[in-house]
Amino acid sequence: MFAKTQRNNLTQGTAVVPKKKDLVRRIIQYKYFYLMFLPVFIFTIVFNYIPMAGIRFAFYKYNPFAPPKFIGWENFKTLLVNPKFIAAFKNTITLSIVNLVLGMLVSIIFALLLNELYNKYFKSFVQTVLYLPHFISWVVTASIFYLILSPTDGFINQILGFFGIEPIYFMIEEKWWTPIYYFINRWKETGWGTIIYLAALSGINPELYEAAVIDGAGRLKQTWYVTIPGIMSTILVVFILNLAKVMNIFESVFVLQNPMVLNVSEVIRTYNYKVGLLQSDYGYSTAVGLFNSVISMVLVIIADKASQKIKGSGIL
Amino acid sequence: MQEKLSFKKGYRGRTIFRIVNVVFLIFVMILMIVPILKILSDSLDTAGTYGLNIIPKNPSFLAYKTIFTTTALYRPFLISIYTTVVGTAIALLLTTFGAYVLIQKDMPGRKFFVWMIFFTMIFNGGLVPTYLLIRNIKLINTLWAVILPLALNVYNMVLMKNFFEQIPESLFEAAEIDGCSPMRIFWTIVLPLSKPALASIGLFFAVEYWNHFFNFVMYITDTSKYNFQIKLRELVLDSQNLAPGAEAIYGRTIQYAAVLVSMLPPMIVYPFCQKYFVQGVTMGAVKE
Amino acid sequence: MGKPLVKRTLSIFIAIVLALSVAACTKKAEQPAAPEKSEKSEASKEPEKPASIKLMVDGTFITKEAGQDQFVAEYKKMTGVDLIINQPAHNQYYEKVNLAFASQDIPDVLIISGTTMVNYAINGALYDMTDLVDKSPIMQKVGQKYKDAVKINGRLYAFPTQAGNGPITYMRKDWLEKNNLKVPTTYAEYLEVLKVFANDPDQNGKQDTIAFTAPGLVSDDPTTLQNYMVDFYQDASPDFIKKDGKWVDGMLEPEMKAALERMREAYSLGLIDKEIVTNKTSTCRDKFNAGKVGVFTYWAGTWNMNLENELKKAVRDASIVAIPAIKETKYLERVPATMAITSKAANPEGIFKYFFEFMHDGDKGTLLFSHGVEGVHYKVTDGKYEKLPSLQDPKKPANKAFIDNGLQIVPFNDPITPDPRITESLKVFNANSIVSTLLPVSENYTKNSADILTARKETISKIVLGQMTIEEGLAKYEKDTKAITDLILKDFNAAK
Repeated sequence: MFAKTQRNNLTQGTAVVPKKKDLVRRIIQYKYFYLMFLPVFIFTIVFNYIPMAGIRFAFYKYNPFAPPKFIGWENFKTLLVNPKFIAAFKNTITLSIVNLVLGMLVSIIFALLLNELYNKYFKSFVQTVLYLPHFISWVVTASIFYLILSPTDGFINQILGFFGIEPIYFMIEEKWWTPIYYFINRWKETGWGTIIYLAALSGINPELYEAAVIDGAGRLKQTWYVTIPGIMSTILVVFILNLAKVMNIFESVFVLQNPMVLNVSEVIRTYNYKVGLLQSDYGYSTAVGLFNSVISMVLVIIADKASQKIKGSGIL
Repeated sequence: MQEKLSFKKGYRGRTIFRIVNVVFLIFVMILMIVPILKILSDSLDTAGTYGLNIIPKNPSFLAYKTIFTTTALYRPFLISIYTTVVGTAIALLLTTFGAYVLIQKDMPGRKFFVWMIFFTMIFNGGLVPTYLLIRNIKLINTLWAVILPLALNVYNMVLMKNFFEQIPESLFEAAEIDGCSPMRIFWTIVLPLSKPALASIGLFFAVEYWNHFFNFVMYITDTSKYNFQIKLRELVLDSQNLAPGAEAIYGRTIQYAAVLVSMLPPMIVYPFCQKYFVQGVTMGAVKE
Repeated sequence: MGKPLVKRTLSIFIAIVLALSVAACTKKAEQPAAPEKSEKSEASKEPEKPASIKLMVDGTFITKEAGQDQFVAEYKKMTGVDLIINQPAHNQYYEKVNLAFASQDIPDVLIISGTTMVNYAINGALYDMTDLVDKSPIMQKVGQKYKDAVKINGRLYAFPTQAGNGPITYMRKDWLEKNNLKVPTTYAEYLEVLKVFANDPDQNGKQDTIAFTAPGLVSDDPTTLQNYMVDFYQDASPDFIKKDGKWVDGMLEPEMKAALERMREAYSLGLIDKEIVTNKTSTCRDKFNAGKVGVFTYWAGTWNMNLENELKKAVRDASIVAIPAIKETKYLERVPATMAITSKAANPEGIFKYFFEFMHDGDKGTLLFSHGVEGVHYKVTDGKYEKLPSLQDPKKPANKAFIDNGLQIVPFNDPITPDPRITESLKVFNANSIVSTLLPVSENYTKNSADILTARKETISKIVLGQMTIEEGLAKYEKDTKAITDLILKDFNAAK
């Protein structure tokens, strides 16, 4: 982008510039940018790469009482022969990915609906209200929803009772727990999720809409041909970035879990939290972390490849 | 873009949609607000209630008074505000710098930098090495131990980069021909045209700082430097799994009052961010 | 764009190399020294006074807001020793303890109990204070049962700070009176009471009460898993128990079947809170405080007062009674809370004398550790002691400093008489309870205890709520856990 013009000037000359020289010249041209990147570079090295040395402990026996001892793949073997871990892995992937896709869909729809409001104050008010639940911690959220869904005096069961339906103890039924988990996540995070799309929507060039109107496109067509393509790159970026965090699902599940629904709700991090409380086995927990990272990496690379196919470029 | 509501032929569908949309959004708002009202009612209720009442039995503002008079909760609130303001400023500077550099397609080493940054989002060294690092660079027990590690956020940097990429390239080229330096382009073109991005990502950072507690627990030993979020967690979590025989110093009334107090600043700040989500910022620039 | 994969892999590879090269430069963690054996010092030798003691404590110890600084100053005045206190957030306490040891920032003394204490002790991280305790005339006064409860292979690596205490059954006294019921003494009578409590005991014409509530059918406290439901479990225990001198898994014993039958029946009759499996302790307290609950088994002592005070806010004329254990069962006293000296501490004898013995001197030290500082937490007028308002919440009297009201383990003439409800319920509890002891050492247990606890919770919950029959549930439990419990029991039975 920058220096494109200069480079054009260079290559328009008759003499062909040797490649190496060209590289040095380009580096010099970009010197300010390297300077600007320096703080970011230093931060990354200090706060991320130096501690990353700790990844090696995944291959060590390591607890607080003795120096780490190399044991090769032992920690990973322990992990992968454990049927509970495998089950937790499956739950992590399903809960987390469905939650991610649902979350994005709902947030995008709401962002589009909010975009259709014309009264500035009403729009601002609705947005603020929708975004509030994000600030209620998961623990409090869980206790409130346990109340609402309670089989004895919960609001939902009172309505069901009005229609003569037997009360349902939602939170302990496996078939109910999962949809409710998704619903509570939507309640909490929908408004928060719309922010990024609202920001993206404001970046769409209004001339495109004017052109579409001249072509006789109605509101729906405008949404389909102008709005959605306009925020598509943001959608892809958000999707891929969130994929990288898929394995980290923890607190939302942890506070809504109970012994009756572990089959569908035990995820890797909740399982490990329970096991790890007593063990203080850093080697094992690092191995779990590394396992999660590798899976995330694979997911991201697949998604990035797909995005290149769809859009012609990856997100990075 | 402003259209009048009318039931003339040809506008009918549009009008119906707009009315339905407003009604639907109001309905969703009520859904969102009911649980929050429950929290509010409990925070005003001095007698123990259990159940779905939205109206407090014996209302009193005692809990709120307690929060703002005991230093135990008032000081952490100030610390929260301090870390949020300072942290967000540093973080936005780093993020915009980084994102601006990463959109330079022809810059040698760009790809390496991108992956180097992205890699840190997925892989990390774990608790102990990070703790040792913070200790070795002498940040233990300072607020910098909370502020600095959070200031570089890959997620936000990539989002920011994505926003910068939306800026029409013709603008850059024009500026270059005019002989503007990269820095100048950054300050006069990139930042002013990215107000929505700065507002939304600034908000992400602010909320992250506001809600953060983990680094406080890990790196700060002096409890008088704790922020509001930790106090909130102690209020809510500890009373849920009290050490056997321990007393809950504060009842649910105060817990829930604290939950609402912690929501106030985000509630006040958000409308100011929304101001920047307006269409047509870039357009004016292209036309000039 | 369309970067070839080769280049991308290369960048990742470079990043990894970079990370590893950095790794090579980072300092190796220091080697922790081998744990010292306590030397037999002569009894006559006076230990020297430590200049300061580094302390790591959780939220049960007096906090900064409650007047920790004044406590430290007072302690210094009495002993001449500086206390340097590190008090991490309560929920991350053990995480921080692990971190402190891993990063070699090891305190001299720390609060550490239960399974974690065993794990630390067998790894040589704690100082063996058995000989010091045996030689100490002050420590001879400490109740032997408390010392025995925390021994590991017959040795003391940590010392009890206060009695373990445990849950006792509280009943709504006003409901008993309203319905002309006596305090039950057998399970049959207990059930009768529950039946009345489930059926409009307050005579308000609404079916809005819960006869009995508890935070889950199985609690999280190892060795006392059944403590919130002793009246139903009775002689059964879902934990590992010693029977006829041999360790067995209580889940598979015949009395467990009977207990499950009892609970299932009570649940299906609606005598147990329908939401028992999803209750947290705070949920139960909220329900009880709102006046909805008839019977609730919860901590004896201070909580008797707390529960009743909160309850009276919602129901003015309500009152509660802590009942003696019914004929079929005993209350369970938890393993006492303990503090330990680390094997890294420079002067364990001095710390023992100036910290541990001081805390249990049955006099000034015990008073300080129980009630805090004169003029800050309590005042003395004409020899009469009285609590001052709490620094955190002036509407309440000051909280304890560290040792709970009435849970001192040495003979102590407490000048501040706690609320009679506290002493009364503790008296009833002590007369009707047995002290639990730590489980023997077993690495297999440490590794798998979480999995086993989860299996127990799941099995019992599903049986009681009627999703499985008793036979199905126990058969599945046995199939899932047998291999590992056999190993654990072998370890337990081989232990000294």
